[in-house]
Amino acid sequence: MVVAVVAVLGYPIVNLVELSLQQYGLFQLLQHHGVYIGLGNFSQIFSDPIFWHTLLRTVLFTLVNVGLTMGIGMLIALLLARVSTWVRLIVTVALVLVWSVPPVVGVQVWSWMTNNQNGILNYALTQLHIGNFFEHNWYASTLSQYAMVTTLLVWGAVPFVAITLYAALSQVPHELVEAAQLDGANAVRIFKAVTVPVITPVLLILVSLSVIWDFSAFTQPFLLIGAGHQNPGNYLMSVYLFIEGYGETNFGLGAAISIVMLVIVAVLSIFYVRAMIRVGDE
Amino acid sequence: MRRKLSSRVGWNTVGLVVALFMVFPVYWMIATAFKSDSQINGFTPSWFPTQLTLAHFRAALATPGFWSDVKNSLIVVSTTVAIALALSFFAAVALAKYRFSGRKLIIVLVIGIQMLPQTGLLIPLYVVLDRYHEVEKLSGLVLVYLTFALPFCVWTLRGFMIGIPKELEEAAMVDGASRLGAFVRILLPLLGPGLVATSVFAFITSWNEYIFANTLLGAGHTQTITLLLADMTGGERAIDWGAVMALSTLISIPVVIFFLLVQRRIAFGLTAGAVRG
Repeated sequence: MVVAVVAVLGYPIVNLVELSLQQYGLFQLLQHHGVYIGLGNFSQIFSDPIFWHTLLRTVLFTLVNVGLTMGIGMLIALLLARVSTWVRLIVTVALVLVWSVPPVVGVQVWSWMTNNQNGILNYALTQLHIGNFFEHNWYASTLSQYAMVTTLLVWGAVPFVAITLYAALSQVPHELVEAAQLDGANAVRIFKAVTVPVITPVLLILVSLSVIWDFSAFTQPFLLIGAGHQNPGNYLMSVYLFIEGYGETNFGLGAAISIVMLVIVAVLSIFYVRAMIRVGDE
Repeated sequence: MRRKLSSRVGWNTVGLVVALFMVFPVYWMIATAFKSDSQINGFTPSWFPTQLTLAHFRAALATPGFWSDVKNSLIVVSTTVAIALALSFFAAVALAKYRFSGRKLIIVLVIGIQMLPQTGLLIPLYVVLDRYHEVEKLSGLVLVYLTFALPFCVWTLRGFMIGIPKELEEAAMVDGASRLGAFVRILLPLLGPGLVATSVFAFITSWNEYIFANTLLGAGHTQTITLLLADMTGGERAIDWGAVMALSTLISIPVVIFFLLVQRRIAFGLTAGAVRG
């Protein structure tokens, strides 16, 4: 049984490394084996400006998304600690409801809300006199496309962060907070000196998970921007990988891109993995 | 006192506004699904559905391929859940109860795979499945979903198992129960919540999955329900938003129900007990 689990989990990784060193196109797919070309795929990626632009775009995208998710999640968690019990119940139900929305459904709802013909967003913004958004197309520029993708992603990711952080906040000992208050510390100082140290392990785990999820986001950017509107000027890493590897049936190159991506994520999430392995070894 | 009360009212108001903003897209989906076409397509959106209609739900159910896609999704999901549950159960027993060589390797693999971006495995899995002629087949998709569901299931079940004191099992065996008897009467009931949580997790991830279904089933006639939903807005023809929202609502219902049941335990599994929710 254990062997079966190792096989299911380990086999794709071994295969991935093997593929990345091969020329593996449509012809090789039909033959079921590739031609070894050493590090050719990697040198091709690293000399491709599209790769570097995509990497930079993805890093920026991840920074913005993780920052917003963690920031808003933390604010909602702090808010949950201050409201009455019945309000907390309502907010929690709202969060769980949002959390459970399937990603593809989320995409469809957002594209309906932001469509330029009769989307509710343009109507609401115009009604609130924020500007004239009549038939405003939110998908006209790359920046605006990613503003939409970010809103959707953060909306979907905040509930998990907020609920987990609230659980962590409720573990902060009351006596510590009261003692700090008696010593004359203000709210900001108490948060920094008392609350943050207690919740740091949870914060780190949440940041690691968010980094992994956002760095490799595919469904939302691919579908919200639209499969037909993906181009080298707006690629994210996963989309680049999908189009170069699967779309162009160049599986060796795709595998090499995957490895680069996996290494970056592994470096970024090393903390989480180490902490989890420690838990698992107990 | 008075100041404290008024600040409480202030925070409550902020809380309700936040809840309203968060939940609005969900409300808008359901409201649109029940609105008449003239209400949906008018240039002035109406905040509430005034003439309720089921026409969009009928249209969604009548979408070509709807029933066969639902059937495909259910086959994939139930097979994944059943196999994931059986495999992860035994793996978790091994990890929680026994020390053996290679144990560390398995822990590293389980956690490592969970951390890998799933898109990173798209290429190797596609090539492997193609080699064994499992592309454009539901069985191939089940294999892929197992790769993703197993780590989480093993990990979460292991957490539940460690929480059960060894003495319970031993006491039952001292009282004359066999190892199997002790297991069925003592361990299984205590593991119940863990088994429910892991099956729901496996259910939701495979029901929601898009990119692998899209790649592996591809242009074939076999589709899952998420692919059907994504395709409804993919083409160049005019989009029937009422039907799209009705189908979205239908797809979300099982997920929401199951998710409400086990939300706490899934958060617990993802953070491996770092937080006691």
